Amino acid sequence: MRRNTLVLIAVLFILAIFAWAGWANWEYRQQAAAKLLAPTAKGELVPSGAGDTMAFNSPLIGKAAPPFALEDMNGKKVSLESYRGKAVLINFWATWCGPCKIETPWLVELRGKYEAQGFEVLGVDTEGDDLKKSDLAGWAKDKGEIAKFVEQEKMPYPVLVDGDSISEPYGGLDSLPTSFFVDRNGVVVAAMMGLTSESEIENNIRKALAN
Amino acid sequence: MEDLVSVLDVKKNLYATAMVLVLGAVVAHGQIFSSAQSRSTLKTDPVAFLYPENVTVPAGKPSAVELHFRVAQGLHINSHTPSDDYLIPTTFSIPDGAGARLEAASYPAGSTISLPIDPKTKLSVYTGEFAITARIVAAAGNHAVQAKLRYQACDQNECLPPKTITVPIQVTGK
Repeated sequence: MRRNTLVLIAVLFILAIFAWAGWANWEYRQQAAAKLLAPTAKGELVPSGAGDTMAFNSPLIGKAAPPFALEDMNGKKVSLESYRGKAVLINFWATWCGPCKIETPWLVELRGKYEAQGFEVLGVDTEGDDLKKSDLAGWAKDKGEIAKFVEQEKMPYPVLVDGDSISEPYGGLDSLPTSFFVDRNGVVVAAMMGLTSESEIENNIRKALAN
Repeated sequence: MEDLVSVLDVKKNLYATAMVLVLGAVVAHGQIFSSAQSRSTLKTDPVAFLYPENVTVPAGKPSAVELHFRVAQGLHINSHTPSDDYLIPTTFSIPDGAGARLEAASYPAGSTISLPIDPKTKLSVYTGEFAITARIVAAAGNHAVQAKLRYQACDQNECLPPKTITVPIQVTGK
């Protein structure tokens, strides 16, 4: 019995060494391959992973949109609640976000198309820098960048600042752009993460207007 | 009878060993699989510092140190000279009081790419492995320098918030 226990321990020890050696070897080969390929990198993008779905399965869908009141570019508080009765697209974006720059003209166009039916876009700037309220220089810099973006893109809808402060109830906002489509009763009917297409956004606007 | 019990014990242990081996193989495979999975999604750290962890330079004299980084597969970060002024450049720095100071940093030229959805816009980016040459001046002695790399990463559809990572380098001035 004692001999068998010793054999078992020995086998486990050898197994552990094999597992470690295999793992270390695999890591080494990965690094060596990356180093070998680095000089030939041409900047080609590979398709996103399976987890990077655009129409992401937000737990907020079917639930009331988390309430918020944020300042617009003039310092006036704008609340989501004040848009009750309208379909609202809450679009989280940032000045440094290339895909947001591509998407914004689509939103401007769709807002013009559906405004008369009771649709509004709230552009919530989310710089991701988690500025403290006391960092006046930081806020001034951010607002300058935002104003420049708003002017360049001719954004006719309310642009709100400090999206970082409401990122948690909206699922963390891991990446931008991220949009939530809210119906006239304040319920989230669809959500999108990342750049999709104008037609997909339009479909979700229609869904929000229908309810 | 004792012989029979002994034979049964040996069999039990053999079964147990076999089970452990199978379990070990499954765990090892699972580790590799999960690691490969995590590397292909946006949830990993977009940029990793590769090497060197230790450098020895002449004390008080500017010395060039080549620092290697890797951008996770499927992502790109803006180069030090992005194609548009609204984009955040990749920047290396050494905080004051670290025992070594950054005299200058030399960045590689970015690769030019365009996104499938917007082929007209050209972006200057780093992908895969890239190296920054830092000219540092270190005082005599050992210094645990916590340098910083600031960058902003995207894939072809979405962008992650800007991030500043710590680049730990043990600098010895002799």
